[in-house]
Amino acid sequence: MSDLQPQARPRKLRRFDVDQRWLAALVGILTVELLVFNLSISGFWSGSGSSGWLGTETFTFTSIIALGVMFVIFTGDIDLSVGALAGFAGIVMGELHLGGMNIWLAVVIALLVSAGIGLLQGLIITFFKLESLLVTLAGQFILGASSVAYEGAVPPSSFPHTFVKVFGTGTVAGIPNQLLIFAALALISVLIVHRTRFGRQLVLVGHNRDAAAYAGIRVSLTRIRAFTLSGLFAGIAGIIIAATFNSVTDYIGTPLLLPAITAVVLGGVNIFGGSGRVAGVIIATFILGLLTIGLLDDGVGNNATSMATGVLLLGALTVKGVMDRRIGLPSLGDRLRGRLPPASSAHSPEAT
Amino acid sequence: MSGIASPVEHQVIPARPGRRDSRRSAALRLARRRESLLIVMTVAVFSITTALEPSFDTSGNINFMLESAMPLAVLAVGQTMVCLVRGIDVSVAPILGIAAVSTGFLAQDDGSSYVLMLPLALAIGAGLGVVNGLFVTYARIPPIITTLGTLSIYAGIELSLVGSSAVQTLPASYSTLNTGTLLPDISYLLVIGVVVTILAALFLWRTTLGRALYAVGNNVEAAFRAGIRVNAVLVSAYALTGLIAGLAGLVYLVYYRGAEGGSGITENLNLLSIAAVLIGGTTLTGGKGGVVGPFLAAIFITVADEAVLVAGVNPDWQPAGVGLLLLLAIMLDRNQSGRRSLREVLLARHPKLPLAPPNEATP
Repeated sequence: MSDLQPQARPRKLRRFDVDQRWLAALVGILTVELLVFNLSISGFWSGSGSSGWLGTETFTFTSIIALGVMFVIFTGDIDLSVGALAGFAGIVMGELHLGGMNIWLAVVIALLVSAGIGLLQGLIITFFKLESLLVTLAGQFILGASSVAYEGAVPPSSFPHTFVKVFGTGTVAGIPNQLLIFAALALISVLIVHRTRFGRQLVLVGHNRDAAAYAGIRVSLTRIRAFTLSGLFAGIAGIIIAATFNSVTDYIGTPLLLPAITAVVLGGVNIFGGSGRVAGVIIATFILGLLTIGLLDDGVGNNATSMATGVLLLGALTVKGVMDRRIGLPSLGDRLRGRLPPASSAHSPEAT
Repeated sequence: MSGIASPVEHQVIPARPGRRDSRRSAALRLARRRESLLIVMTVAVFSITTALEPSFDTSGNINFMLESAMPLAVLAVGQTMVCLVRGIDVSVAPILGIAAVSTGFLAQDDGSSYVLMLPLALAIGAGLGVVNGLFVTYARIPPIITTLGTLSIYAGIELSLVGSSAVQTLPASYSTLNTGTLLPDISYLLVIGVVVTILAALFLWRTTLGRALYAVGNNVEAAFRAGIRVNAVLVSAYALTGLIAGLAGLVYLVYYRGAEGGSGITENLNLLSIAAVLIGGTTLTGGKGGVVGPFLAAIFITVADEAVLVAGVNPDWQPAGVGLLLLLAIMLDRNQSGRRSLREVLLARHPKLPLAPPNEATP
């Protein structure tokens, strides 16, 4: 987009500014949130209960799903199947274990299956040149139905104690295992996106697919890898859900899709792909997670919490859009009046 | 990705067959339309199922199936409006639900007639649709993200409207609408669905705004240069989708004789309406299609669903079946630019990069 312009350099610098400012704003929001809950929730800092600051069992899995979807959104695609896939991974693991399989082997197989489903969706999307939106929407419903059918009459529950401890309720030096797993995955994501060749390719593919292709990047392969990572992360989230609640049900995964996407765009990743920082997404997952903890602690129901997520999603994108435009990205009107070449259209479903 | 299609490749208007062509090719074109395929497929599924299970072919059952398709069919007609302008609306199910529960409670508590409730349902739907349209157009948030956001907000509103109760008893006039027939074997609900579809089709073919929807969906820039107020048209498209979803809410209320907190969402009406639009030959890349295909596709989905039930398949698989149909529909659609058919994929494994970069920057 902007790199086609003669005045590319100053715009690029200012673009960088937007990312920096957004990150600063996120840190600010998180600080305010921590201060508010510090005052309003007694014992906020003391423990890992559901209302403590380490009460991660309410949001770690959403954060892990968000990290996975982030890879896909970086390339300019979208993956709507991640929530259902997390649920499906849990069901696969649980059913294999019910069938008498060793729990750890079942975990490995469930992770392979979810990565494989991500891979398959990526293959379908790139081979047939279909819109990721539609393929993953169909995937969401196929996976949801498969979960219901595979689960049967009795949802799997009561997993071995060590499994529940390792992936769910256990702690190391007072820090919940889930948070440690999330931290490890977050670190890996930062390294992948900002320190590897694949990460740079990922962002360039999202920024300008043609430029990436002419630069010799295998665009389809990059997109397929992103979908595979997304599937794998969703699978990990599914295992953690199973361990945390010590049971799996078919409907547990799908509602996680919206908060996950919210975290990614709140974290400053461009929904059209091609720009953003992993650090922003990590901070955003905490903002969302703490908000959930706070609202639930205030006695606000799940329903209102999910509404708040929706409001936050639309609000964040509106504000970010205004910021981007102030900084000088072309507006639709500018493009249409012929001052600039047509770039991505906000009205194209594929642009997501 | 497909960029903006050139007007030469895409006819703006679904040409009425037989204007300029010889009679034979006109007939051929009619036969190759998606609507004809859907009618043939519906009849085929129906005949095969009847052959296996004779009780399938009773006038009561046909009526029942057509009636039960109507909430989805009307909703699909609404979904078509945004799809024509390259949009998508996954908040139609809760819009339907909000319209159904709010009119339902008024009808249950005050005995309000459906004549009074119709404007209310339409207004609720249009209002919620405008909100979607403003976010998509002026905040420039992609349609799928906008409507995912409003999906959770609207679903929350629907649940909080209902609380722990539900609409269970409706005045007698509503039951008449449900059970009554205009002619023998043609129920009021079917008549409503057909009338809505015809009105929507006339709107798309015969009004300036209807034409503008195709123009904007086909080529935003050309539409802008032709003097169309693009933003106003986009907001109108979302408003219309909401409006028709509100009407579908009333149809839902009459058909199910009640409504509850999860109405619309529990029936998967979001995915089903998108599937019906795509199976009906309207593309998500905009500017192509109409409302008749989605209407027929909704009936096809319902008949196929019933047939699968009769065949003894676990109903839990129903969403998976629709998901597969959706995949199949978009794979079969060769008209969208940049799309490769299954045959092309199998024959040419290594797609060549175009020699010159395309004119448009792709997102």
